[in-house]
Amino acid sequence: MVRVAVTGLGPVSSIGVGVSAFADALRAGRSGISRIASFDPSGFPFVKAGEVHGFRPREHLSRLDASRWGRSSLFAATAARLAAADGGLDPDRIDAGRAHAVIGTTSGESQVLEALTAQIVTEGFAGQDPALLAQLPANRLAHAVSEELGLAGESLTLATACSASNYAIGYGYDLLVAGEADVVFAGGADSVCRWAHAGFYRLGALTEHACAPFDRDRSGILTGEGGVVLMLETFEHAQARSARIYAELLGYGLNCDAHHPVAPHAPSIADCIRRAHRNAGVKPEDVDYICAHGTGTPANDFVEGAAILEVFGPEPPPVSSIKSMIGHTMGAASGFGAVAGVLAIDRGFLPPTVNWKHPDEGLPGLDPVPNVARSATVRVVQNDGFAFGGNNAIVMFGAVT
Amino acid sequence: MTGVAVCGWSALTSAGEATSKATGSLPRVDAPAAPGTGGLPAEPLPSPRGHVVPQFDIRARLGRKGTSAYDRATGLAVACYGDALGTAELAADADRGRVGVVLGTTVGSFRSTSDFSRETLVQEKPYLVNPMLFPNTVMNGAAGQVAIRHGLRGVNATVSGGAVGFLNAVRYAEMMLAGGYADVMLAGAVEEFSAHRAWAAHLTGTTAEVPLGEAAAVFVLSAPQPPAWVGAAPIADLVTATGFGPGGTGARALAACVRRALDRAGVAPADVTAVLTGEADRAGQDEYAAVAGLLGHRPRRVAAKRLLGECDAASAAAALAVWLADPEPAGPALLTARNADGAVAVAVVRRRADAGTGDR
Repeated sequence: MVRVAVTGLGPVSSIGVGVSAFADALRAGRSGISRIASFDPSGFPFVKAGEVHGFRPREHLSRLDASRWGRSSLFAATAARLAAADGGLDPDRIDAGRAHAVIGTTSGESQVLEALTAQIVTEGFAGQDPALLAQLPANRLAHAVSEELGLAGESLTLATACSASNYAIGYGYDLLVAGEADVVFAGGADSVCRWAHAGFYRLGALTEHACAPFDRDRSGILTGEGGVVLMLETFEHAQARSARIYAELLGYGLNCDAHHPVAPHAPSIADCIRRAHRNAGVKPEDVDYICAHGTGTPANDFVEGAAILEVFGPEPPPVSSIKSMIGHTMGAASGFGAVAGVLAIDRGFLPPTVNWKHPDEGLPGLDPVPNVARSATVRVVQNDGFAFGGNNAIVMFGAVT
Repeated sequence: MTGVAVCGWSALTSAGEATSKATGSLPRVDAPAAPGTGGLPAEPLPSPRGHVVPQFDIRARLGRKGTSAYDRATGLAVACYGDALGTAELAADADRGRVGVVLGTTVGSFRSTSDFSRETLVQEKPYLVNPMLFPNTVMNGAAGQVAIRHGLRGVNATVSGGAVGFLNAVRYAEMMLAGGYADVMLAGAVEEFSAHRAWAAHLTGTTAEVPLGEAAAVFVLSAPQPPAWVGAAPIADLVTATGFGPGGTGARALAACVRRALDRAGVAPADVTAVLTGEADRAGQDEYAAVAGLLGHRPRRVAAKRLLGECDAASAAAALAVWLADPEPAGPALLTARNADGAVAVAVVRRRADAGTGDR
């Protein structure tokens, strides 16, 4: 049986670029939320998001011409470059055909699409910039990684919305276990955009100032952005080059609500948790920490919490949401969760749920790790990702034994 | 042969509706190029020609219940996945949690997303968007509605690939079946006709040779020996390989995929009788030339885009339907695709009815 190692982490987030900055910010419970700068938010009642300010892809990229790629692709490529460097891997020295890029996303090149739409509004369809149109296909997120690192294996963008990074990590796991890969760069990317801000606001799912998952008075999400990549390798490949192994990727589970386009569904989430545990060969009592989907909407957190209580019983392991710090980074969200989960194992701490004030009586026994990070020995982590379309995906990590 | 079995399929194209049970409407592989006909949306278009699925009306086809927020891509997907599911002849007690869905696309619905974004610019207040339409801006909207409509609670994925979108979906399905996550995968691709796609294709030059088209085509895939609860017998086998050519090495990457797929399928290069290419032009430099060079001979070339239009992610899916519908016996075929950014994909296709034909 092939075992899968996590050997490199590449977060490009609103609370830090690179694993050290990101880990320090998680431990400090820092917020990456600020007034929106990527578009003029002044006509909106709510004006905050988790943007990556001062993102300078040219400082990180070796091969990509940044002027030819959209923001989300640049997030993905930068994250992959960081992950390779963090893992001490020179991509030019591996078998390129056995190295793959798998990137999840919700809205792909959303800022490119918004720029094209503005051109359509002002100049008509014929007034669109062909160079910008060429940047639109969502498949370019994975291709940016392949091109930047010179990978000749599969280059797949999974567009399963807000659980897409977990889908990508899961597919990477399958490629490695099936013997089709030595290395897989898996993660996700998305950019803050006006249309998502408007859509979530009109759904009543957006909050004004602070995202407070699992709080009794939680009132919604803040949109966020970024790119995140985990470098996954077979143990054999990692050990042959004496790589540091952060954690083992134990397995994952997928299912679909087949219920409602946007509302989450507790029985289906409980089923997905059980699928993930079965696939990873773990029991509920083995799990030390759940990195929650935890969007901060009344519906998600109640449904997720209820599903956790159903599977784990009245005393579930601690459940925290890093969306309280970075907002909802959409297709990158479960990738950031995965990095947080891996760091929990590697560095022995539970990231907090910040902005938390009141227990929710509807979720008795649920410990959200309120406001302050906690030292802990973490051996098994469950990382949740749920999405519009009912696309649930849960990934399991374990300490190396 | 490793890979996956095709137990049934359905296709909605400008030629109408076709399934593995009633293949009649699709053009023969050797039909002359079709110019594309009527049914185009009443909007300013860059060309008066286009390939539109005829008389496809969401309400008429799928009823009113649950369909009010569907966009055209979602309607085509829900109809086509339903038709494909029908061809599988599942037993009444089949576990639909073991039937997965994977859908190939480029950006989902460019129209839905752009129209939604447009409202934030033209309304009196930027937030005056219609929240009912928000899910259509997300690329997995169509696959999610397929699951809801047909009660499919298992694996459900949307993959983006542009020209390689459909073969990415087949490859993903193959991995889900091999990994035991599903017993049957409905793998397909969908693209809708819209002014948005038409102008994008026109301005980037992808419709210089053939008109824009729309299509949905879905294939019922299983392990080579399907589970007992699938009533339909396998009609073909597929082996896929996908890859990437960094730094402009796409042709080399395509050749590597052809070699890998043939090797896994146990098919000798000399036995390939046809190449179904994603090229629309007659010269065929991008795909056919590279493939023929590797094979060492020049098998028949089928350019399905000349029959059904430029359908982006759905083009290879429509091409596969055309090939499986063709009544003439033939040996193994290669289905190839390549996108502008360096991604490549190949499938070896063998129809079981042809077993022994030019296939040592």
